[in-house]
Amino acid sequence: MTVMNDNPISQARFQQKGDTRRSARVSAETVSTFAVAILCVVLLLGARFISPSLGSWSQVETVLVLGSFLVVLSFGQGLVILTGGLDLSLPAVATLGGILATNWVGASDPAAWYLLPLVLLACGCVGFLSAAGIVWLKVPPFIMTLAMSIIVSSLLLGYTKGTPRGAAPDIAVALMKGQVLGLPAPVLFLVAFVLLGWLFQSRSIYGRYLYAIGTNVEAARIAGAPVTAMRILPYVVSAVSAGFAGLMLVGYSSGATLRMGDSYLLPSIAAVVIGGSSILGGRGTFLGTVGGAILLTTLGTIISAIGLEFGLRTIIEGAIVLVALLLLREELFQKLGSLWR
Amino acid sequence: MSDIATAGASGSAPSAVRSGSAPRHRLWRLTQGAGLILGLYVLLYALYAYQQPRALDSYAIAALMNNTAPLALAAAGQTLVVLSRGFDLSIAGVISLTNVVLAVYPLEGPGGALLSLLVCLAIGGAVGAVNGWLVAYLRLQSIAATLATMIICQGIALVILNAPGGAVSDWIADELTGRLWGVVPVSGLVVAVVIGLWLLVRRTDYGIALYAIGADEPAAALSGVNVRRTRFLTFVAAGMLYGLAGLMLSAQTATGNPNSGTPLLLLSFAAVALGGTSLSGGRGGLFASVMGAATLTLLQKVLFSSGVSSFYTGLFQGVVLIVAVVFSGLLTRIGERK
Repeated sequence: MTVMNDNPISQARFQQKGDTRRSARVSAETVSTFAVAILCVVLLLGARFISPSLGSWSQVETVLVLGSFLVVLSFGQGLVILTGGLDLSLPAVATLGGILATNWVGASDPAAWYLLPLVLLACGCVGFLSAAGIVWLKVPPFIMTLAMSIIVSSLLLGYTKGTPRGAAPDIAVALMKGQVLGLPAPVLFLVAFVLLGWLFQSRSIYGRYLYAIGTNVEAARIAGAPVTAMRILPYVVSAVSAGFAGLMLVGYSSGATLRMGDSYLLPSIAAVVIGGSSILGGRGTFLGTVGGAILLTTLGTIISAIGLEFGLRTIIEGAIVLVALLLLREELFQKLGSLWR
Repeated sequence: MSDIATAGASGSAPSAVRSGSAPRHRLWRLTQGAGLILGLYVLLYALYAYQQPRALDSYAIAALMNNTAPLALAAAGQTLVVLSRGFDLSIAGVISLTNVVLAVYPLEGPGGALLSLLVCLAIGGAVGAVNGWLVAYLRLQSIAATLATMIICQGIALVILNAPGGAVSDWIADELTGRLWGVVPVSGLVVAVVIGLWLLVRRTDYGIALYAIGADEPAAALSGVNVRRTRFLTFVAAGMLYGLAGLMLSAQTATGNPNSGTPLLLLSFAAVALGGTSLSGGRGGLFASVMGAATLTLLQKVLFSSGVSSFYTGLFQGVVLIVAVVFSGLLTRIGERK
C-alpha cells in the first residue's frame, strides 16, 4: 500500500507504549505545542540583547507576515503527513499558482474574481492527479508527488519559455501589503487561517477521519470512514493551499519567478516535524505546526539581522533545526507529560 | 541469526521467505528488479543509437558515462539508506561540500588525486557518521535529522566558496573523465568497482542485516541483528558514496559551485524508485538504482537528440518514473499471486 502506513516500526511503537489512551497522547502534543510557542517568545525577547532593533512589535509583525507563507504551505503538508504520506510537489504547485496568477490574471484585470479561483482549481487538479496515482495506481506518495513536481516544473518552464512575465493581481497585493484597522492585512489573514485550519484538523469530522486513516487504514475502513475520499482530500487541500501560498508570494514580491517555491519544501516538512507531528502519520496538531513555522521564521529573521555572512547563517539555521529536533524528541515529552498527570 | 542468514542466502528479499520456493523466486526477483530497468535502458539506447549513429563509439560512451557517474553513485548511496527504511537528504550537502573543497583546494598530480579521494571519502564518512549517530542512536526521524545535516553542510560549503568559481585540479578533471587505453571510460570503471563491492558486501552479515532491518526491524532485532550498528554503518557507507559522487561531479564540471549537489537530491530518489527499490525498505538493490540513474541521464540525451526542448525534460522524466513504478508494482503483484 503506501510507504508508511502499514509500518512495523509504528506498530511496534504502539505496542511498546502500551498506553495509547487519548489523555496521554493529547497531553504530550499539548506540551510540545506550548514548548514551541514559549521558545518563540523567548527568542523574540532574547533577540533584544543581540540588537536593540529586534524584539520590537514591528519585528513581530515582520515574522508573522514572512511566516504566513510557511504556515499556509505547512497546513497542507501537515494534512498529507497526518495520513502517512509526504507532499514533495508543494514548491512546484506554489510556483504554478504564482505564475498562473501573473500570466493569466495580471495587475488589474476585472475578471480576477473568477480567474483567481480558476488558478486555485488548476492547482487542486494537480493535487487530485497526485492522489489518483497514489490511491488507484498504488504509487508511493513520495514518488508520485516527486514525479508531479518534476512534471509541473517542466511544464511551467516550457509555458513561460524560461522567463515569467506579468504583474501580481491587485487583490493579492492588497492581501499581503494592505492595512486593516491599523494592523497588516496578512497578520489578520494569518489569524483567520490558523483558526480555520485548526477547526478543520482538530474539530471537524474530516479531521478525525484523517487521524484515523493515518493511525490505521484498515481499522478506519472497518469503522466506516470514507477511506478513498479521505486519502484523496489531503493532497487536493495541500495543492490548493500551496497555490494560495503562490498567490501570496506574488502579492508580496509583486512578480513570479520559476524558482519561487523551491526554498519552502524542506521548511514545510521541518515545520510539521518540529511542531510535534510524527512523519509516519496519525499524530500531530495544526497548532504545533503553526508554532514550528513561526519558530523557523523567527530564527531566520534573527539570524539574518545579526549580519553574518550567508554561509554561517545557513550553518546556524541547520544547527538550530537539529537542536530543536533533539530537544523536542518524543520521549522527552512523554516524560514531561507524565509529570502532569 | 542463523535463520536470517539462511533466508538471506536464498534471496535476501523478505518476500522470498514468504513464497518458499527460492530458486524460482530468485529468477523472478532478477527480472522484476534490475531486469525491467535494464530492458528499458537497452531500449532507450537503441533509440539513441538509431538517432545518433555515433552513440556507439567509445568517445560518446565515455561522455555518457561521465554524465551518469555522479547521479549513479549518489543513487547507490541513497539505495543503502532506503534499504534500511530511511531517507537521506544530506546527499545534497555532502556533494556540494566535496565539490567546493576540491575546487578551492586543488591537489595536483596522481598523488594529489589520491589525497583528494581520501578527503572526499572522509567528508562523506564523517557526515554519514553524524547522520547515523542521530538516527540510529538518538532515534531521530531520518528525514528530519538528515535535513538538518544537509543544511549545515550547505552552509559550510557556502563559507568555503560563496559563489560559483574555483578550479578542480587538472589531473582529476582530465584523468577521471578520460578513457583507459582509449577504450574503457574511467568513470564507468569507478561505478563498476562500486557495484562489484556491493555484490560482495551483500553476501556478508552486514548485507543480510541491512535487508533484515529494512524489511522488519523488530523481527531483525529479535533475531539478534545489531540494528543500531547496522543502521549507523549504512549511513557512513552512504556518505562515502556521496563523497565519491562529489569527486566524479567535480571531475566532470572542473569547477566549484556551493549548490552543485541540490539537483541530485530529488533525482537520486527518482533513480532509486526507477530501479524498483521499495521506498519502504528491505527490497531492491544497488545495481538497479545505478541503472535507474543511467536511464534518467540517457533519457535527457535521447530527448535532446529528438529535438524536444530541454524545458520538457522533466515532463518525460516524471512520466517515465510514474510508469516504471506502476509497472514494477503490477509485476510484483502478479508475482505474489502466483
